[in-house]
Amino acid sequence: MTKYLPALSVLFAVVATAVPWGLPADATFILPLVVVMMVFCWRTIPGAALPPAGAVGIGLLADLMSGGPIGYWALMCLIGATVGGRAGSLREGSDFVLHWLIWSALVTVLAGFGWLLASAYYFRWIDWWPIAFGAMTSIVLFPVVMFGLLWVRHGRLGPERNEIFRGGA
Amino acid sequence: MRERGSPLFRRHRPSWRAPVELLSFGLYFLCAVLLVLSRIGHGAIADARDGLVDLTAPLLEVASIPAIEARRAIERGRLYAAAFKEVDHLKKENESLKQWEWQTKLLERKVAHLRSLLNAVEEPGLVYATGRVIADARGPFVRSALINLGRKDGVRIGYAVINGDGLVGRTVDTGESFARVLLLNDLNSRIPVLVGPAGVRGLASGDNSAELKLNFLPDDAKAYPGDEVYTSGSDGVLPRGLRVGVVSGTPGALKVKPYAKLNALDAVSVLFFDTPALQRADPQVAAAPAALSALPTDKADHPATASASLPIAAIMEHVGAAGLPSVGGQAQAER
Repeated sequence: MTKYLPALSVLFAVVATAVPWGLPADATFILPLVVVMMVFCWRTIPGAALPPAGAVGIGLLADLMSGGPIGYWALMCLIGATVGGRAGSLREGSDFVLHWLIWSALVTVLAGFGWLLASAYYFRWIDWWPIAFGAMTSIVLFPVVMFGLLWVRHGRLGPERNEIFRGGA
Repeated sequence: MRERGSPLFRRHRPSWRAPVELLSFGLYFLCAVLLVLSRIGHGAIADARDGLVDLTAPLLEVASIPAIEARRAIERGRLYAAAFKEVDHLKKENESLKQWEWQTKLLERKVAHLRSLLNAVEEPGLVYATGRVIADARGPFVRSALINLGRKDGVRIGYAVINGDGLVGRTVDTGESFARVLLLNDLNSRIPVLVGPAGVRGLASGDNSAELKLNFLPDDAKAYPGDEVYTSGSDGVLPRGLRVGVVSGTPGALKVKPYAKLNALDAVSVLFFDTPALQRADPQVAAAPAALSALPTDKADHPATASASLPIAAIMEHVGAAGLPSVGGQAQAER
């Protein structure tokens, strides 16, 4: 179960992005970026397995469910997985600020690239504000998502907890 | 001993491994190819999307329940917080509506008299089905929603979708049990409209923002902020007279503020309005020999499909107590 926890949690987030939350039009970019952020975070958490191919699969699912062009969120997730894999493992908080900075830089590049890609896809300049707003919000949300995933991994379903329970018995 | 060097530049892999790098390159290439195929509208992509959405529609329907309930709870909370103010507002509105009711009855009688003088043919009532929004599309590309009505309910590509407030969009994709609705504010949405009492012709275009651009108005157009905007039907796809929104913005840069809250849709109705243009776009449209509005022949007794004269109670039973979707829709459909 723990082995599939990263993929399952991101899958859950993909389904959550498709649900009609009633967010305003400017905030529609936030939830998909949270999915990319989760991919990035899982790749930096030591021992968590989310291969790039898995990230692409999850991104494709997001594309299929969103009705947008196929390959867009897959590409975003793949970039997130690649950078997350190269950013080095998180050492329980000591590298947290560095990873936050890396995510901030990455999401800035992703937002610009995503805006250009979307504009190229439709042959017109699309509104940049929702993308910029989503990127800024994702930077603010990074600690919540990162510590949330660490809690999910180590707090409830992690092997450490299982060992504690076995030791207690 | 502390390991030296920034983790940013520290690689997990001790050496270059060709298969991994190749796989990574292959994945990037795959994404690029899929984007191109998606742009040119390859059939396999559309089929895969339809298949997957059909498969996940029940899951999305279940997953959307907590979100919709949470949204309703927030709305209820807001309503309770402003209950007294709301009661005063509703009292005033009720007085105003009583006046309107009296005027409407007078006008109805006049219209009926004039129609009888002209020996005018009765317009066919529109048939519709009511369903729920089960998923939203997010991102920079699309503003669309999935609804739990599909081909099995008689829904085809190009049908107008409305709710109690006004026009929501039109169907652009249909599966067996779902349909995708392109919302008014999507980049690809273009709605021919009539503006104001003068009925000035224009085009309401979406740009992914909350309001629509109002383009192609004549130079001397008498259109002002506050004017009502409704469909002209000149595209041969949407019925004429559906409420779209109200003109906002400043002269020279007029916009349309949709009546329907496009970011918080719940229950919506699909109008079965078959036209020759739709039959070209979606060959599976059942031909309607006598009227533009046609009940799907194989689904005539389907509970989700209702004629314009169907009692509201039956629709309520289908959409749930909180739906209240089609009171305005019925009125619009009969305009």
